[in-house]
Amino acid sequence: MTSAPEAPKWLWLHEEDNVAMALSDFAADNTVTVNGTSIVFADAVPYGHKFAVKRIGADEPVIKFAETIGAAKRAIDIGEHVHVHNIRSLRGGAR
Amino acid sequence: MMGEFSVFRIDQQPGIRNHVVILSLNSFCNRAVELIATAVRGTLPLVHPFGRNEIGIYRERLERTLEGVVLNPNVGAVLLVGYEPESTKALLDKVTQKTAKPVDSVLVLESGTMSAVHAGVDKAMWMVLGASEARRNPASDFEGFIFGVKCGGSDATSGVASNGAIGEAVDRILERGGTAIFSETTEILGAEHIVARRAVNEDVARKIYSAVEANEKMAMDAGIDLLGVNPVPDNVRGGITTIEEKSLGAIMKTGTHPIQDVLSYGQRPDRPGLYFMDSPSAASEVVTGMSACGAQMILFSTGSCNPVGNPISPVLKVTSNPRTVARMRQHLDVDISDVLTRGQSLRDAGDRIVEAIEAVSDGRLTTAEITGHLEFAPIPVGL
Repeated sequence: MTSAPEAPKWLWLHEEDNVAMALSDFAADNTVTVNGTSIVFADAVPYGHKFAVKRIGADEPVIKFAETIGAAKRAIDIGEHVHVHNIRSLRGGAR
Repeated sequence: MMGEFSVFRIDQQPGIRNHVVILSLNSFCNRAVELIATAVRGTLPLVHPFGRNEIGIYRERLERTLEGVVLNPNVGAVLLVGYEPESTKALLDKVTQKTAKPVDSVLVLESGTMSAVHAGVDKAMWMVLGASEARRNPASDFEGFIFGVKCGGSDATSGVASNGAIGEAVDRILERGGTAIFSETTEILGAEHIVARRAVNEDVARKIYSAVEANEKMAMDAGIDLLGVNPVPDNVRGGITTIEEKSLGAIMKTGTHPIQDVLSYGQRPDRPGLYFMDSPSAASEVVTGMSACGAQMILFSTGSCNPVGNPISPVLKVTSNPRTVARMRQHLDVDISDVLTRGQSLRDAGDRIVEAIEAVSDGRLTTAEITGHLEFAPIPVGL
């Protein structure tokens, strides 16, 4: 688990994860550095929500907890809000 | 001090409360239950809208819940308020073979609600007197304890912090001789490969997979996207997107020990260890089922907050979301938000949960008990 040193603003659980979790309310154009990569937020990302720390292609798995939590509905760029508008479940009646 | 607390002894099991329950067996008996409990201080009325014409799993769930309420070690005496003699006597006969605590009954269909109240008040009064004579004894481990483990009002903080802290507490409980039960079949969907790996043997692993398959088939047969059903809207607002994401966070609360078996709703485990109860996920219903399994306490991880409680088994609320602590303190018992704000370890947070468990076992009230959140919901439906 990696997070910023003091009063962490984000949480990146595993190296395999292509998303990190916001521990702050971010506005578009805010910047953070995760694992040496400078990330500019494309959208507002509320507390607890996810943002992409790696580029995710359309239909590619979204990885958190080092596990697949769903698939990208479309390509997602680094710094984009990753939420129900651009990720879908692979389980239940939705597939 | 950690490791020293006190319990009642009921049927050779530790009890952390000593309730005198007035239990309705049927919706028509609710009125009599309420009147008896109003007349006799120190009684706990339990009412529900069921008890007639249920079939199949719904009948089984109701019967196990009613029997489980009577047998729960937090209950010192029970007055059954039944409608007709046949089903009332059947339950009375069944439970009196399994418990030495006072259990008695009155009937509404004998000579009416008011007459049942008259007879019931007399019986309940002496049950309260008897229960008030019970004394607590010292305890230092969790032998004979069953803990329900549940998350509700989950948000993204639950999966990364409070569930993991409860998982630490669950490991500690099991190492001290206790039992823990987790549930919510929909909420292992997407994480079943991880859960099944922890099954004690192949047979139990198969039971876990088949419970998940049956659950997912319900969603597929109904043609529904789980989004909006589970995760619910407040989960999504809190940052959870898919059922897979919710499940992978939810299973953190189960700790690391092997899973001994899959239980039906309200089924009592017969040996210590960690168990999975196959059930739909709604909080009131799951907590009621865990109480029916014999749980003395429910460990409840919450994100955006869920006020649920239970009349029999205190529900201990744990959150790691600092905003929820600021907004909903009246529904919380353990604040471990420093895991996220100051990088405090989950192990340390687990220790604080165990301390709170011992304090509540010892008689400290939970916020759900104080706010009067005593939800009793015996028949879960849904996903």
